Amino acid sequence: MTVKEFIISRVQIFFFLVTLILTASAVMGLVYQPDMELRYYHFFSPILIAACCVLPTCVTYYKKEPTVRQYIIRQIIELILIELAVMFLITPPEEIEKLLFYLVLGAVIAVIYILTMVMMWLQKVQQSKKLTEQLQNLQNNLAK
Amino acid sequence: MQTRITKIDRDKPEMLEIRCHSISDEVREIIAFVKSRQGQLTGTADERQYEISISDIFYIESVDNKAFIYTKSKVYETRQKLYELEEMLKEKHFLRVSKSTLLNLMKVSAIKPALNSRFTAVLFSGEQIVITRKYVPELKKALKGDS
Repeated sequence: MTVKEFIISRVQIFFFLVTLILTASAVMGLVYQPDMELRYYHFFSPILIAACCVLPTCVTYYKKEPTVRQYIIRQIIELILIELAVMFLITPPEEIEKLLFYLVLGAVIAVIYILTMVMMWLQKVQQSKKLTEQLQNLQNNLAK
Repeated sequence: MQTRITKIDRDKPEMLEIRCHSISDEVREIIAFVKSRQGQLTGTADERQYEISISDIFYIESVDNKAFIYTKSKVYETRQKLYELEEMLKEKHFLRVSKSTLLNLMKVSAIKPALNSRFTAVLFSGEQIVITRKYVPELKKALKGDS
């Protein structure tokens, strides 16, 4: 993977994370603190958290194409790094038990990460459909 | 080796004759090139030599410095190197899809996603060939008609 390709993939992950963190914040907020009022600067939080999550994942950069096994291991490392980054950034509210908060947070991050991967996979499915279509056009044109 | 070209009348068949002391690798290369221009490749299977029509080839794979031609039901070994075949067959819609595989795009029924930024080409024979990340841009270019 070239550095350019890697940067593009990180930007993609960043935007997916912003969307999903925003959704997760809304859901967790509704469950734990439904009456809390937010200020405009709070809207920067998902962007900052997503940026902080993407940065540590840069250690998973690879130049040589990894095997499927190596790829899965890298994805797991990436998830652990994201979990650590978020847990370091977010402090639990006083009224909630720390362990429970971190467990819920960890689960939410894992769900967000898996959803990010699913979205990227769906994007790839779309890309392969387009390639198949182009391929069939090429085959039909040559058969004429 | 000297070359001599003689113009002949249109009613006579065109022919390429090679006069050589022995059938060396160089001679074989020339024969293979001429045959590929005519839409054929030479391959061996079960210690016999076969002329394989290019349109019957699904893919060509290089294993341990040997190239193998895969058709729907048979595998042939060829003396030519993969990069030579790639050069010869690029106008016949063959595309390098990994370090060791040359794929006939006319034999691909679908392209599917795979893990690790790769894609998989599903052939009409049902076989699946991995398209590695490095060669995906070339595939996109070829399918857009850029090459």
